[in-house]
Amino acid sequence: MSAALTELINIGYARAALALSDLTGHRIALEVPEVGIHHIQEIASKLQEIIKGEVAGVNQVFSGPIKGNAILLLDREAALHLNRLLTDRPDMAGFDGAAREVITEVGNIVLNACLGAFGNLLKVQVAFTVPSLQIESAQKVLKTITIHDKGLEYALIIRTHFRIRVSEVSGYLMIILGVTSLETLIGELKKWEGRELG
Amino acid sequence: MQSPKDSLKASPEASLLSWIQQNAPYGVVTLDPSFHVRSWNHWMETHSALKTENVLGQSLFTLFQELDKRSFERALGGESCVLSTTLHHHLLPLPSPMREPVGALMRQTARVAPLLSEGQVTGIVLVIEDVTQREIQSEALITEHRRQEMLSWTLGHLLRSGDPRKMMRQIFFKIAENLDFDTFIMYLRDMDTGVLSLYTAGGLSPEAEPDFADCPVLVNVAQARELVVFDSVQDRMEPEFAVLKRTRISAAIAIPLLVNDRALGLLCFGTWNRNHIGQEESELLIILSQYLAITVDREATKQQLQKAQSQLAQHAQLLEQKVDERTSRLQETISELEMLSYTLAHDLKAPVRNMLSYCQILLNDFGDALPPSAALILQRLARTPKRLEILIQRLLEFSKVSRQQVVLDRVEIEPVVDELLALRAPEVLQAVTMVKPLAVVRAHRDLLQQVLSNLVDNAAKFTKPQTAPKITISSELVTSASTSIRGDLLLFSAIEPHPPTPSASPADESPNARVRIWVSDEGIGISQELHHKIFGIFERGVNAEAYEGTGMGLAVVARAMQRMGGGYGLESQPEKGSRFWIELPAA
Repeated sequence: MSAALTELINIGYARAALALSDLTGHRIALEVPEVGIHHIQEIASKLQEIIKGEVAGVNQVFSGPIKGNAILLLDREAALHLNRLLTDRPDMAGFDGAAREVITEVGNIVLNACLGAFGNLLKVQVAFTVPSLQIESAQKVLKTITIHDKGLEYALIIRTHFRIRVSEVSGYLMIILGVTSLETLIGELKKWEGRELG
Repeated sequence: MQSPKDSLKASPEASLLSWIQQNAPYGVVTLDPSFHVRSWNHWMETHSALKTENVLGQSLFTLFQELDKRSFERALGGESCVLSTTLHHHLLPLPSPMREPVGALMRQTARVAPLLSEGQVTGIVLVIEDVTQREIQSEALITEHRRQEMLSWTLGHLLRSGDPRKMMRQIFFKIAENLDFDTFIMYLRDMDTGVLSLYTAGGLSPEAEPDFADCPVLVNVAQARELVVFDSVQDRMEPEFAVLKRTRISAAIAIPLLVNDRALGLLCFGTWNRNHIGQEESELLIILSQYLAITVDREATKQQLQKAQSQLAQHAQLLEQKVDERTSRLQETISELEMLSYTLAHDLKAPVRNMLSYCQILLNDFGDALPPSAALILQRLARTPKRLEILIQRLLEFSKVSRQQVVLDRVEIEPVVDELLALRAPEVLQAVTMVKPLAVVRAHRDLLQQVLSNLVDNAAKFTKPQTAPKITISSELVTSASTSIRGDLLLFSAIEPHPPTPSASPADESPNARVRIWVSDEGIGISQELHHKIFGIFERGVNAEAYEGTGMGLAVVARAMQRMGGGYGLESQPEKGSRFWIELPAA
């Protein structure tokens, strides 16, 4: 199942990498070294383990036959580094307006590609809200999401590597779903695994 | 087609939305799934100069033919997109709200999102934000940041580099890259001759570089000592621009390198692509040129200093050579003189003795036959060879002390004193008191005995009339700080022909411990003004005429102490006696 999920995300990421490369003129690759499914109650402690300090979180709510919340989490330094690599602009004032927009757009491309891959798998149309960016602790970002929707119970945590020029930036893509959406996704994923991966 | 106003007028929510859309400080456009304009707000009218009635129902791609369709297609698939100004510059090509530069486009951040109804995409909404001013400010900040960064980089490299002149090429390439210049040329003035010559250049073809060795337009700037910007060089008709024009330079800046009004050279940057060099670039280059001028000046001063130091060192070496040569010649002469004095003294011994003998024979055999006055003359005549014999003896002693090879060894002073006293008259023996224990020193035994004999003889001789001599010999350990005194050099022999050779010394011996041996008397004393020369050859005290002597005794002491690497001196007052001292390493 994990291999199928990784494969599906890789398909989405290939599209995102192409879009980002096209946009920036640099060859960009996106890799998925690790995928995990966790109960929402474990997430807070899990996040504490993997991301320290402030994060840049690009958040998009998606709705349709499956619904939930998708977030790209980059720690502060990784986000600024990514901005520097993509734009060649020095980050003198940390997250200025331009840097915030670039990170939002990158998150938007990655989230859209990933959720689009899920939509294609389920042969349904998933609609997304306009992405928003939060810069605060991972805990606070998580709290904002869970407060908004009590029905969200599970989270897919996808470790994500951006390879740009000779540098690498790591972050986490988190897809928070309700139990029904997760079951639907897993069911379809198993069928797809049977078809595509043998 | 139904207008958005008509479609929304039914509900209060729709009225509110309509109000927000029309009055929003953003561009808001809605499209149907075929990308035809459904609504066009007031902001869009203002910034696009397209009236709502002229765009409604028109395809957005007809209105803006260069528009990229991808974001719109993705919106139809349900995706919401954010398009940042850094990565896209703008979504719609609208004119910039800033007056300059002419023809510039507005910087925009845009959002393209699907409009959904019951899960289906029924249209697309565009929200466009004008971020031109923000970006101009941000770019100004970035420019300032890069400028500061370049200044610190340059300054840091110039300060850190061991060879800043070599570093300059690297700095010029960096400046050229950052400020979009294609060539640089640097001239330096020779500090001695004042001639300006090409020091380094970059971005020029090998064929073009020699032309710049004498480029009239740049030489003029260097002479005028004023910064000059040459805009639109290719349009200049004056012949002095020929060199710049041949190298395709379209604009250039020439900055004289000045430090405290001294013209050190000239720095020139040129571009092939622009006809104008901005004020900000000029200001930055002026600061950088000041850094470079100070560095050039510092290096020139350093080189001059090094040159002067090197000349001084050469001169010192030459002087040293001359001193060595002269010392060697002097040493040779002294050696010859010493040999001569030894030979003379030695050869005079026999004739003087003969003279004395004949005087004695005359007195003994013919004394009675001589008139009394003749006998008296003969007696006086006989005293002269006696004195001559003593003088010759002293000269031979001095010569021996000067020529003898000196090896220092452990010497106990008490036996040495005992031995020398054994050879003295009984009244001298009785006059001497040793304050025991006397120290043990590192010395040459024979020389030390000679020194102490001369000091004792001196003390025994220069007594007050009708007074028996009273002599005390004592010793004390002195610290190294107090042992730097060495007596005045001898007038006759200032050079060590054979420096003392130390023998194996005990490991536990302190290298600085020294012993001072005092020979004190209560005799006639020596006046202060003679202290500094009393140790010279043939020098005698003012009140010493009444005493027989050669003036050689203390010269032998001084010479012997020099040969042993020791010190000597005296403390004395007329009528109160003298305290002579010698100093040697403790054993």
